[in-house]
Amino acid sequence: MEKRQVYRVRLSEIHEKGMDRRGFIKRAMAWGVSVLGGGLFAYPVFSFMTFRKSRKRTVIFCSDEQGSDVFFKDGVYLVHEANAPRALSARCTHLGCTLNFDPTADRFRCPCHGSVFERSGKWLSGPAKKDLEHIPIKKAKNGDLTAVVTL
Amino acid sequence: MSAGRIQTKISSALPRIGLSSLVLCLASGMVLIFYYRPAGEVFANVEEITTLVPYGWFFRQLHYGSGQAFVILMFLHTLDHFLKRRYVHYPMRVWVTLILALLLSFFTLFTGFILKADQEGVFAGRIFMNILQTIPIVGASISKLFIVSGNDFFFLPYIYHCFFLPILIVYLIRHHIRDWLPNRGFMMAGGACLFLYALLIKPGVVFPPDAVTPSVEGPWFFLGMQRLLKAAPPLWAGIVMPGVFMMCVFLLPLTRKRGEFSASAGWLLWGKVDWLRYAVIFMFFVYTGLTVKAMIWGP
Repeated sequence: MEKRQVYRVRLSEIHEKGMDRRGFIKRAMAWGVSVLGGGLFAYPVFSFMTFRKSRKRTVIFCSDEQGSDVFFKDGVYLVHEANAPRALSARCTHLGCTLNFDPTADRFRCPCHGSVFERSGKWLSGPAKKDLEHIPIKKAKNGDLTAVVTL
Repeated sequence: MSAGRIQTKISSALPRIGLSSLVLCLASGMVLIFYYRPAGEVFANVEEITTLVPYGWFFRQLHYGSGQAFVILMFLHTLDHFLKRRYVHYPMRVWVTLILALLLSFFTLFTGFILKADQEGVFAGRIFMNILQTIPIVGASISKLFIVSGNDFFFLPYIYHCFFLPILIVYLIRHHIRDWLPNRGFMMAGGACLFLYALLIKPGVVFPPDAVTPSVEGPWFFLGMQRLLKAAPPLWAGIVMPGVFMMCVFLLPLTRKRGEFSASAGWLLWGKVDWLRYAVIFMFFVYTGLTVKAMIWGP
């Protein structure tokens, strides 16, 4: 009688373990399929939602606007240098705020986190660390200067 | 009345006045949506609402006041539960859902700050976009889910502010709210205060996005972060540190002692010291200190 009971207990243990293992494989497969299926669906959704056409903005400085020492237009600073004018992006290299030009100190200053840049665009102090982006400029036949900014 | 009773009254009043603010905020938002356009000259559009459209100034201030009141009261409601260690009585899933709703409420406030389209709004949007872009590998893609540069700058914050977030917040708190139109007294008191606020307080001075101003401030709840961003790299100040804080808050129910809510102790109660609670209090005090400093001496 006692033996039979022991045997029964053992059999049920084995049975449960077997079920557990089978259950585990089943559950793992279900998880695998849902992760794979979810991924197959999520990837196109994510790609769709994060796609943007690359956009550019053209900034034209006409001859009147080229007269001042430092001129700001549509996110671009046109700075007069000894040889030729230079176009600098007015976007702070830290977190993208538009820089102000301080004519007394001859420096660019960020109103958000206080980074300071030289008039050449070189980083001087503050959290930005990187120099300002230089934008290539083209001179048209009528004297206009054109800078193309990537958005 | 004993101090205990006053405390209980305050505890029950906070969420009820908060709910009446939410109702007013949603209602005034539904009025504003008829004139607000998230494309073109957005700053001019907002100025028109304030100065040209009949009663526009009133609805704008009512929306602003009720939105702020809702989020502040929800924050105080959470703080009240935190101080009383009520989080140990919540199942983990419920606590996480409610904290997430509070977090999304702050995000709704922030998207509203962007949608004002004045200088501080535009700069806040750009800073948010640039911080997201600093996340390694997926940063550039993730930022495009929330905000993009160019003509569509206000479009995604608008969609989040007017549709995704309000619907999601109401969905997340649906089981938590016992009665959507609470006690008439609270409705009347909250409503009267907010109506008076909208009638008497005029919108502050705003600068157009291309104005030259010596310093630009973020929304009050991000002043501490603005201060932090001056000292620490954007990824740390904007993502990692707030992420660690939020993770600690999410895990609070796991610090329950034996017999509190369940027979076994939470697995985050190491020894007898509730270290997670102290970590949350410490981080909160540091951030509050930074915010107060920025409020007094500028960010």
